[in-house]
Amino acid sequence: MNPYVLTIFILSLGIGTTLTFASSHWLLAWMGLEISTMAIIPLMTQQHHPRAEEAATKYFLTQATAAAMILFASLTNAWLTGEWNISQISHPLSVTLTILALALKIGLAPMHFWLPEVLQGLNLTTGLILSTWQKLAPFALIYQIAPNTNQTLLITLGIMSALIGGWGGLNQTQLRKILAYSSIAHLGWMIIILHFLPNLTLLNLTLYILMTSTMFLSFKLSMATKVNSLATTWSKTPPLAALTMLSLLSLGGLPPLTGFMPKWLILQELTKQNLPITATIMAMTALLSLFFYLRLCYSISLTTFPNINNASTPWRFKTTQMSVPLAITIALTMLLLPSTPTITTLFS
Amino acid sequence: MALSSARLLRTVCEKCVCRHTPPLWPMLPTGKAAFYGEYRRPGQPRDWNPPWKKFRFSFAKGVQGIRKHFGLLKEEAMERWVGPQGRPLIEHMLEQTRVQWEFRGPESLKQWTVSTDREVGGRSEAYLKLGRNNGTCLLYGTLCSTPPRDGETRYSGYCALRSKQLLSSFDRKKNMDWSSFNTLYIRLRGDGRPWMINIGAETYFSHMRDDMYNYFLYTRGGPYWQDIKIPFSKFFLSSRGRIQDSQHPLWLDKVNTIGFTLGDKADGPFQLEIDFIAVCNDRAHTEEFAYEMYKRNPTV
Repeated sequence: MNPYVLTIFILSLGIGTTLTFASSHWLLAWMGLEISTMAIIPLMTQQHHPRAEEAATKYFLTQATAAAMILFASLTNAWLTGEWNISQISHPLSVTLTILALALKIGLAPMHFWLPEVLQGLNLTTGLILSTWQKLAPFALIYQIAPNTNQTLLITLGIMSALIGGWGGLNQTQLRKILAYSSIAHLGWMIIILHFLPNLTLLNLTLYILMTSTMFLSFKLSMATKVNSLATTWSKTPPLAALTMLSLLSLGGLPPLTGFMPKWLILQELTKQNLPITATIMAMTALLSLFFYLRLCYSISLTTFPNINNASTPWRFKTTQMSVPLAITIALTMLLLPSTPTITTLFS
Repeated sequence: MALSSARLLRTVCEKCVCRHTPPLWPMLPTGKAAFYGEYRRPGQPRDWNPPWKKFRFSFAKGVQGIRKHFGLLKEEAMERWVGPQGRPLIEHMLEQTRVQWEFRGPESLKQWTVSTDREVGGRSEAYLKLGRNNGTCLLYGTLCSTPPRDGETRYSGYCALRSKQLLSSFDRKKNMDWSSFNTLYIRLRGDGRPWMINIGAETYFSHMRDDMYNYFLYTRGGPYWQDIKIPFSKFFLSSRGRIQDSQHPLWLDKVNTIGFTLGDKADGPFQLEIDFIAVCNDRAHTEEFAYEMYKRNPTV
């Protein structure tokens, strides 16, 4: 793509999200969401392939529907209560509709059906932007309406997402679909704690963005989009094979890696709120996700695949891709657990 | 009343039109049938029966259908516990070849559809049967390129063998995942005629319904079997028989059908005997796509 055009789209993405962050009026927030949706569509169709066009169409339709629902909910609230302020949304109908619309925007179950297909149709870079940056603006709105939300609805959405994310990712062999279901499961964890401690949602979101970025960048560096291509990573970059395994375990929430932090804090908070059964169910559903992360670990590092790729000693050649962002994100993905008190203070 | 007078008008119009010029009204995009792309054989009048008159209700068939579909659904749920496509992951990872279709019994022929230009009024014939020792399939027949005299069709003379769409429970489309492979491997025995292999992938938009990925298949003829290996990177995109300017590689994670077409304008008998159709992973083949991907708005 022309670098100037690419700059415009990337800047528009930034502007859209920043507009939503900075707004206190529903209309301005909606505008920011629409700008970021429009900005990412050309990035998705960069590849001239029918699957990329299908992904862009599905993404546009779902996001436009969600934005229309948000507009409708805010209009309803303004009609019934006279309030346009985001944090002052109070009518139960408006709040429920807003939560459902934002759930559709981010891909929470049961509004998750678009996410695996859309991610599968994109290249890894655009998939990374979709899974990380595009979640920020909706979460900014979710965070602001958190005190007025319906606890039962959020717990239902959370448990369903964690279950469906775990169950759906079980037999996938395409890495982008696995990351999509992983995203759905993580969103479930984020949303379940929203009503009780919204700051934990933000903490979980930040760490999820960090870990997902690590995964996307690792797969991009090893040029792997399938489980079978992951299996030949050991001959391309042996250190990356080991580190990707650890990043996957972090994503699965195993101590002493960073991914354990949000799960631990969320389970602790749920128990404090007298919801031990919900906490147990969430812990059990995490096992489903852990199963497919372990499967990926198995294919990437725990087995030496009998067939290597056809390039000779690829580890001798320097990669043309930037590896600095990956280095930073991998380090943070593995080493942040001891800094839990500092991080919780940052987010409180 | 209005409907019957409209039908009368149409019948009168059909009779009044000069026999030498084709009637215009069937070619105009009127009505739901043409818009939704329902097939109408050229030269035949339209079917005016409403859908409720074509409905055939059978309770026994319904019960059988319920049993079949719920059984398939249960199998799908159970195979999820085993691994991808019902097999352990280690099998998926180690798999280098997969025989997708082989002809070892009469039920294997039910997975295929044979069609010729007879459907549009032509005179070609094609039949499919099991070959010797029930170990192969034999597609044979006669090609005739005389166009049908219906006033519309200009060219004729083709026959096609196409695999049926795989269906999962409740008649949902099931795609084949060939992403672990990069080469099509067919063992067949032809008569020297040039065939075309068509692979149909899953599409989303209605304008892509006829998109197909093709490549040539030159048979050698003679009594010896031929092993043909065609990398998937060689398949080019065409739509309704026209090669597209903007090409892209075939994505192998959702493949629906494979077909063989003969249309070499040579009238006479033909035979094609297929042993098996397989996909394999040729690790020496590194090409991603063989054709220029047309660059829109190239930088000057």
